Amino acid sequence: MTAYIIRRLLQLVLVLFGVTLITFSMLKLVPGDPAVALAGKGATNERIAFVRHQRGLDRSFYVQYYLYVGRLFHGDLGDSLYSGRPVRTLIWEAAPVTIQLAIAAVLIELLGIPLGVYSALRQYSFWDTALTTAALILWGIPVFVLGYFAMYIFGLKLNWLPIGGVGPTVLWVIPSSWESLKTLILPALTLGMIEVAYISYMQRASMLEVTRSDFIRTARAKGLSERQVIWGHGFKNAVIPVMTIAGIDLGALIGGAIITETVFNRPGIGQMIYLAINQRDIAVIAGGVLFATFFFVFANLLVDLGYAWVDPRVRLGE
Amino acid sequence: MADWDSDKPGRDPYGSNLTEAPAVDARRTQEVVEEIVETGAKPLGLWADTWRRLKRNKLALVGLGIIIVFLCVGTVETVFYQAHWHVRSSPDTRANQRVPGYLAPYDPNEVNYALSPQGIGSPPSWKHLFGADFLGRDVLSRVLIATRIAMLVGIIAVAIALALGLLLGPISGYYGGAVDSVIMRIADIFFAFPYILFVLLIMSVLGQGFQNVFIAIGVLGWASFARIVRGQILSVKSMEYVEAARAQGAGDLRIIFRHVLPNSMAPVYVAVAMAIGGAIATEAALSYLGIGVQPPNSSWGLMIAESVEYLAAGNWWWLLFPSLALVATVFGFISFGNGLRDATDPKLKE
Amino acid sequence: MADHLLEVKDLSTYFFTHAGVVKAVNGVSFTLDRNETIGIVGESGSGKTVAAMSLLGLIPDPPGKVVEGALMLGDRDLRTMSDEEMRSVRGNDIAMIFQDPMTSLNPVMKVGKQVAEAIILHQKKSKSEARRMAIEALARVGIPDAPKRAEQYPFEFSGGMRQRVMIAMAVSSNPDVLIADEPTTALDVTIQAQILDVISEMQAQFDSGVILITHDLGVIAEVADKVMVMYGGRTVEYGPIDEIFYNSHHPYTWGLLSSLPRLDASQKARLTPIKGQPPNLLLLPEGCPFVGRCPYELQQCRGEWPPEEAGGPAHGVHCWLPADQRLALRAALPQFRESAA
Repeated sequence: MTAYIIRRLLQLVLVLFGVTLITFSMLKLVPGDPAVALAGKGATNERIAFVRHQRGLDRSFYVQYYLYVGRLFHGDLGDSLYSGRPVRTLIWEAAPVTIQLAIAAVLIELLGIPLGVYSALRQYSFWDTALTTAALILWGIPVFVLGYFAMYIFGLKLNWLPIGGVGPTVLWVIPSSWESLKTLILPALTLGMIEVAYISYMQRASMLEVTRSDFIRTARAKGLSERQVIWGHGFKNAVIPVMTIAGIDLGALIGGAIITETVFNRPGIGQMIYLAINQRDIAVIAGGVLFATFFFVFANLLVDLGYAWVDPRVRLGE
Repeated sequence: MADWDSDKPGRDPYGSNLTEAPAVDARRTQEVVEEIVETGAKPLGLWADTWRRLKRNKLALVGLGIIIVFLCVGTVETVFYQAHWHVRSSPDTRANQRVPGYLAPYDPNEVNYALSPQGIGSPPSWKHLFGADFLGRDVLSRVLIATRIAMLVGIIAVAIALALGLLLGPISGYYGGAVDSVIMRIADIFFAFPYILFVLLIMSVLGQGFQNVFIAIGVLGWASFARIVRGQILSVKSMEYVEAARAQGAGDLRIIFRHVLPNSMAPVYVAVAMAIGGAIATEAALSYLGIGVQPPNSSWGLMIAESVEYLAAGNWWWLLFPSLALVATVFGFISFGNGLRDATDPKLKE
Repeated sequence: MADHLLEVKDLSTYFFTHAGVVKAVNGVSFTLDRNETIGIVGESGSGKTVAAMSLLGLIPDPPGKVVEGALMLGDRDLRTMSDEEMRSVRGNDIAMIFQDPMTSLNPVMKVGKQVAEAIILHQKKSKSEARRMAIEALARVGIPDAPKRAEQYPFEFSGGMRQRVMIAMAVSSNPDVLIADEPTTALDVTIQAQILDVISEMQAQFDSGVILITHDLGVIAEVADKVMVMYGGRTVEYGPIDEIFYNSHHPYTWGLLSSLPRLDASQKARLTPIKGQPPNLLLLPEGCPFVGRCPYELQQCRGEWPPEEAGGPAHGVHCWLPADQRLALRAALPQFRESAA
């Protein structure tokens, strides 16, 4: 296991450097001269040159990258070109909203596990076909389509739930009141439903594959009851890959929630990036993407380690 | 995208205590027979066999049907776009303007305030099957024209990604060693970004417009294809016919591209189908966010974004029809890709 | 008091499919006594595994069904048992080990726990007691350092060791009958002998009867007391091992014996495989399934299944060829020239 962890960590470092390099390159590739923007309107050429030198914008690519990474280590993501506020502060303000949504969505999508198992056990029955078809359709629905429909039906027509915004929270992410919770329901359900489709499909597939395997045949030949065979031997094997999917989703939703946040007007990381796009604020865009990516990479690492811990073949080094 | 487990059709043969008595199932019995009868069946060609298996999957067939309709409409519109420029005049533009062609009941860009009395368009009617938007433009025509964009994005973006992937994947898989490590590390980096954010980042640099959408999606997509092909090549590399080719004196490149690659393509086709669906969805998302297709051009995502303002005022048709088109198309590709995967899965007991 | 430990009479297991009826096992009979080993030989698709699974009631229904036959374990009728009774027979009175030990063990469950599970299930012991017994069982099949190994997972064992674990699991409840389905096929030749030894030891310890299913005549020669040769779901020949090897009466058996490479054959002699392909079980003839591949086919072979004839003591064969003709044909075969019976 230790060998695995070390290997994984090395890979992590490599990947993170690659990510920062790409992000930095994107920053550099944006058309326009940042020195001009920073120097302000009507600046003279000398002023621009001065700013360029002061900010180190006249050094080579590699030096600038090195400085950039150095700043990242200190948590400095630069300042918003639009508002001047540090990007890090903007992220700090926006993150809880997104994290709240991500957790809620993942909790909902875990419902896919029992659905998938049920579907697999009753293969080809009416429910199985219905669930599988529904899953396939839901899976392909873009989030904003589902979101607007949900909003239209539950928000506008039925007026049950608010159509946007966030409520006050306790413990950073937990909604602290019923009103607050109501703002979370629609977006979480929208995101969650699509993922439920995916997870139930995967769980079903995993379950089917496991129940066809030889060791299940052995378990039956031992005289175990069907319940013991399915749950004691089958399910434990079948659920492992699906749990990793859920874990990865949690990480991915930090960045992936951008559409949902735009639809439901939640001031999270996603909306922050969206506004930055409209304002051409590359610093915020890059900072937000970097944050989301780091989060995703670490989430993946945790999931891999969790998988290794659960699956003895990986844990003890096959 | 996550790796897919195979989905083997076939019923639990032991009749679980937890379920009711299962009905006799034609598919499963056919498979059981084939399980028992290991030889003696007539060997079919690979494609015929795949098609036979695919035919049994109703959802996949529906998906295929949708894809065919979609491709037809898209092709027709593209052909008309290029070839049939026409002349249009309308109160809003200069008289006798030359604009791209289309095949639709009405000119998709023709503004007609008569159809939008309160500024929110008019609901579906016999003359305008999908209704009209706030500028009085016929929604059906716009949906049809948007099909062209969707198809182009799907095909071109995926083609770019496929080309890159089919170049780097086999090289990585066949040569192994340092080359493989480097290419796969780079792929890891590409996989590290949340997809939509990566696309956004690239679009921020490239700028708006739907040509950039092709590039962004295409350049990001190589990693999936490369990884799939590489995996196939790794498993095929040790097989005997590669040794045989080498023994005959074939050079490396020849071996890769003439022997190994053609036999590794099945999962790639599946990936292509899924990728096209994904590309269309991504383009819609980008257009929705405002950085893809720009008005007055028409894309499903853009139409959805535009329609939202008017939703509260009661215009549901402008949201519904592009949404249906989008969902149906993406579903078609996903469902077909899924079916294709099941039909070509060697692990399926057949 | 029953005559035999296990008696199978006219077992027929069919699969009812939309493509037709597959007669996987068609009128098969054999008996098994304590301390006896019967080898069931045949190609893939001959029905040997289906026959074994029929004994344990593990035939998927639908589409399969044991349509006919008496399956008697001592005085007990296996066919009329309830699900619950059947489950108490499996792994307890009749135990089965399978071909590929790599995939036949739960990969994420410790080996000791898998063995203990069988013990807890059938012997109602407590968990700690079962654990102790599981370790004992592992030691008994020759796994060194059993207490430590019991805490390990299947992938940490070699192929031969894994098969020993399977055996330990199977014999943990002193079964009367042990069915071994191709137990050595997936293993190295050097390990094969060891595994066969373990099975024999266990058999001796528990006075069990062993049904050894294989396509490998070499394995049969090692351990079987009697042999049943199956083809296309039918028994074509059966008898004591010496009879089958030195006085075989069926063309298929000759083919099997001929295809064995021999140490004393000349270097120029070629191996003689049996010509043709295994039969399509959907299109089996009414008569002998070996038609089309049998070099001595007669007119009536296709249409009618030959009745049993004696080929020697306790030795039965189903073939339309007259007995004297059979002997002559056999003597003419190159493989049998040296060993004229």
